[in-house]
Amino acid sequence: MTPSVETHNLTVIYDKKPAVWNIDFTLPTGKIIGIMGPNGSGKSTLLKAIMGIIEPNIGYSKIFDQELDDVRTRVSYVPQRQSVDWDFPASVKDVVAMGRFATKGMFKRLNSEDNKIIEESLQKVNMLSFSNRQISQLSGGQQQRVFLARAIAQNADIYLMDEPFVGVDAGTEQAIINLLKSMRDAGKTLLVVHHDLHTAQDYFEHMVLLNTRLVAEGPTEKVFTKEILTETYGGTLTTLSKVASLLKEKDFPMRHK
Amino acid sequence: MIDFWIILTASLVATSTAILGCFLIMRKMAMIGDAISHAVLPGIVIAYLLTDSRASFPMLVGAAASGMLVTYIIQFFNQKVKLQQDASIGISYTFLFAVGIILISVFSNDVDLDQECVLYGEIAYVPLDKSFIGDLYIGPRQVWILGTTLLLIATSVWLGYRKLVVTTFDPSFAAALGINVVFWQYYLMAGVSLATVVSFESVGAVLVIAFLSGPAATAFLITRDFKRMIFFAIALGISASIIGYYTAFWLQGSIAGAIATIIGLQFALVFAYTQLLRKSRIAKVLDNKALT
Repeated sequence: MTPSVETHNLTVIYDKKPAVWNIDFTLPTGKIIGIMGPNGSGKSTLLKAIMGIIEPNIGYSKIFDQELDDVRTRVSYVPQRQSVDWDFPASVKDVVAMGRFATKGMFKRLNSEDNKIIEESLQKVNMLSFSNRQISQLSGGQQQRVFLARAIAQNADIYLMDEPFVGVDAGTEQAIINLLKSMRDAGKTLLVVHHDLHTAQDYFEHMVLLNTRLVAEGPTEKVFTKEILTETYGGTLTTLSKVASLLKEKDFPMRHK
Repeated sequence: MIDFWIILTASLVATSTAILGCFLIMRKMAMIGDAISHAVLPGIVIAYLLTDSRASFPMLVGAAASGMLVTYIIQFFNQKVKLQQDASIGISYTFLFAVGIILISVFSNDVDLDQECVLYGEIAYVPLDKSFIGDLYIGPRQVWILGTTLLLIATSVWLGYRKLVVTTFDPSFAAALGINVVFWQYYLMAGVSLATVVSFESVGAVLVIAFLSGPAATAFLITRDFKRMIFFAIALGISASIIGYYTAFWLQGSIAGAIATIIGLQFALVFAYTQLLRKSRIAKVLDNKALT
């Protein structure tokens, strides 16, 4: 099977300090893959380097064993929700329509086929009734759903998502994870930057643990261990105890005793 | 007829700048126009010194070159030196404008240029500079220059509309689609440079800035649809030109000053209206709540 994403010696340096250092991995296809690590560990930078938004100083990455430019229409990127100005004068539908630009090119009018895809995408994130709503009137969770709908409208094979669970309500978080699982079942690969250790084990089958360097990469049950998490999160007291309690919960379900 | 030519001149400037202004304010770059309109001065003076004439074309080239130079410097400070956008704008255009002033004062014997005129323009003189085809009078020269500029800008924005919108709203997503974000930034800035450079001769730098930011800002308050925002901004700019002209006529005052003032009043009125609307909406919601 062709790997979904592979990176080789990927290094990005801001000023003098490296943001990601010498990252080497090969990720499987058809899985929900988490990129985990503490704040400032280079998670977003890694995603941006893979997407060519930031030029790496050293190294390169490939998607489906090809150059990014050759597979762009098969790749979708969901930036952090806070990275855009939601006061931009546009409707929900306008934003989701941007997902069609990649395949339509920049000049062709959107036809009924595109409109159908846009509607279906909004349906999947449960936002169809908001289609004409101004984006400035959306809650954080709704904004995230709009971004996901735009990504779905791209009809890609791999989705790279930067912190899709930040600042969303519990209902939206559940809806998003269900959506990701159904996309995975349809054969898509999902690469998700995430920072909440509590939910990580439930959400991801495969993980990349990052702290500027690559700490570990592999199936969740192999890499989500106390030793690796301690190494990733640097062993501050609070995170350490959190990790310990997390692992304990899994091993000895206290409630059932 | 003079009324008509002056209003048409102002309206042509208003339309070009309104289109560009909508993109600029959504990119939080409205003051780029300010920077360009001041930074053109050294380009104009150097062009004048090199060609020893006040012919429009070399001056336009000089102005456009220094206009693009300042956008490049601002971009460089902002992206590479990581200086804040407003600080980058402030430091670069004041420097270039100052260089222009020094050039004028050093070569004051040779330079027949008036920096007052650069800043405030003189729209009232536009009809005096006439164009002819053979013997046929075809209107003021400025109207033809500004008309061509408008056509060029409107076409470029129309052709690049989707890319300009996507790179304005979500540059990372645009980059992920394979769009060259920096190219479209300069594409827009080239338009702003062109509009500013050809406009300031007739209407002055201050009115150009007012036209770039005012109508777009007012339109932003009125609508939440980007295409409509552009059309509203154009309508506001043209109406400000008409009302401003007659206000100036009535007051026997500066035309550019009156138009800029009307642009400010339009914003104030629309702002007051939207605030009232908001309050009455809130009151309505509270009333309904009290009833239930």
